[in-house]
Amino acid sequence: MTAQVNVSIAVPTGALLAGALRLLARSRVARLSADELGRQLLVERPGVRVILVRPADVPAYVDHGAADLGIVGKDVLWETPGSHYELVDLRFGECRLVLAVPDKSRLNGPDTWPPLFRIATKYPRTAASWFESRGQAVEVVRLHGSVELAPQVGLVDGIVDLTASGRTLRENRLRVAALLGSSTARLIANQASLKTRTQAVQAVISKLREGVNGAG
Amino acid sequence: MTERSESTVTPQLGGVPGFRDLLPAEAEILREAQESLLAEMRRWGYRHVITPLVENLDVLEVGLGPEQRRRLFKFADAGGDVIALVGERTVPVARVVAGKLRSAKLPLRLCYAGPVLSTDQGRFQQRRETYQVGAELIGAPGPVADAEVIALAARCLEAAGIRRYQIDVGHAEFFHGIMDAVKLPPEVKAGVRGALAARDFVALESLLERTSLRSAEHELLLRFPALRGGPEILAAAGGLVRNKRSEQALAELAQVRELLITHGLGDVVNLDLGALRDFDYYTGVIFEGYGPEVGRPVAQGGRYDRLLEKFGRPAPATGFMIQLDLVSEMLTQGSRPPALPRLDASLTWSGNGLATAVRLGSTLRLFGMRAVVDTEARSQAESKAWWRAVGAVNLIHCHSESSVAWTVRGQRTRRLPPEQVAGRLAGGLS
Repeated sequence: MTAQVNVSIAVPTGALLAGALRLLARSRVARLSADELGRQLLVERPGVRVILVRPADVPAYVDHGAADLGIVGKDVLWETPGSHYELVDLRFGECRLVLAVPDKSRLNGPDTWPPLFRIATKYPRTAASWFESRGQAVEVVRLHGSVELAPQVGLVDGIVDLTASGRTLRENRLRVAALLGSSTARLIANQASLKTRTQAVQAVISKLREGVNGAG
Repeated sequence: MTERSESTVTPQLGGVPGFRDLLPAEAEILREAQESLLAEMRRWGYRHVITPLVENLDVLEVGLGPEQRRRLFKFADAGGDVIALVGERTVPVARVVAGKLRSAKLPLRLCYAGPVLSTDQGRFQQRRETYQVGAELIGAPGPVADAEVIALAARCLEAAGIRRYQIDVGHAEFFHGIMDAVKLPPEVKAGVRGALAARDFVALESLLERTSLRSAEHELLLRFPALRGGPEILAAAGGLVRNKRSEQALAELAQVRELLITHGLGDVVNLDLGALRDFDYYTGVIFEGYGPEVGRPVAQGGRYDRLLEKFGRPAPATGFMIQLDLVSEMLTQGSRPPALPRLDASLTWSGNGLATAVRLGSTLRLFGMRAVVDTEARSQAESKAWWRAVGAVNLIHCHSESSVAWTVRGQRTRRLPPEQVAGRLAGGLS
């Protein structure tokens, strides 16, 4: 089972792309520019193939075996658990998943929460399970963008969203009421790739691991 | 037939989401693969059982974890009993062995094939109905039986036409022994189990880093996904474990590996001590089979010595199931997809040629050929158009009792007596 020696790596568009490409270069896995990858979506280098996909699609490519490895934010994995192995914390792309409420809101700790907490989020699964584990009834409104707007127009009591610097929240007169989790980029692997093409895949994993540790 | 309704609403032609129609090309590959698998199982002395698509919920719940239970299609029977559509077929086989087959001498070798259903579509495949073929060896403990089912699974994959595959063999007790021996507070242990079940090694690492206690088992847990390879992995792990359960597991794995070499499968077998499976169900040697091009295991199995006792007939047992859908996916994605069966002959007729066409069709079928007889009379020219639509190798136009026009692959047409055409086709001549 060694016909295919190339190891394919799915990297996400968006906020994690620059960090992912830096890591690939620093680890001596593949040196390529965002420009080149953005134009071609699929770039071959000796021993590796890098494919560019939307962040939420990385687990799909890896779980299906279309990519052996994937670089993806932990926030995506919260929402789409799958059959992949989550192997390495790549220590970039830090952000927090927070519960935010309007500045003027009287909502703070759990003792101030209403009987039914209405929230808007792009992370319905993570948000629902977080509230449920605290015994709080929650109504989750799933939105696909501009989540910050929802509490201001009275659609919901608060939002659950990612924040890196907190600027967007401040600009929308929202404040953090609770921290649901911290996210960084992760290296995930297809279960069959780890088993059927162990040497080639493990070699890339080791390089990436060293690249992470080398960055200090 | 019901009367045609006045309404103009057309019924949903696509079917229920998650349930598929398998069209001839795929259905034939799937069915042929199923027959090859069952035939191989029969050659190893496994008898076929057919269990129903529905079972009482309390029967199925005996062998399933909470997550699997949640995914069962459940509904109420007329009497108020809750029944469910089967989500796997080992538990029904165990029920039969402990029930209707309770006086049958052990060990029993049984095999099955059929659909299994899940309310969950899965994330990417959108399939709620899949097909499984499996074998169970019930009443036989020990490595000889373990090696038998692993070897059978391997030969089944070969029989179905999968040329490249590998089998990873592990042991549930190796993991149980480590979890017994590792020095961790109970809440951290629960976290470790959770992280391993989710295959989240980042969480595992941070859990283990936070504890001050250190033991040899610590190191093993951290290296879990990399604990695979040849016999050297047994020695490496043996140097690290300090508990009876894991040592016993390693000894059994060494025996199973030796036996698999005797079975002629040394090349395709790897040892995988880090195999992560449903450890509440499996009690001993476990294994997974992987083929090319598909990112999931095509065969899964192992020893489950505690299932039968839940039905009142304690017995050791081991077995496996093969995902038929994945087998057919591998066959169609492979570099040489299987040749689709074609029609051998299209028989058309005109004048008083119908009887000749029907008789000639019967004769060709006797020789194992696929022959279609046209349902209406056609001239020889019209026959050509029909033949192109049907797509057979041979076109035979019958216009009398003594002579037919025979065309092979659209080439020159010859006029011959029907028995000569039959003779040449049966003899493989054209």
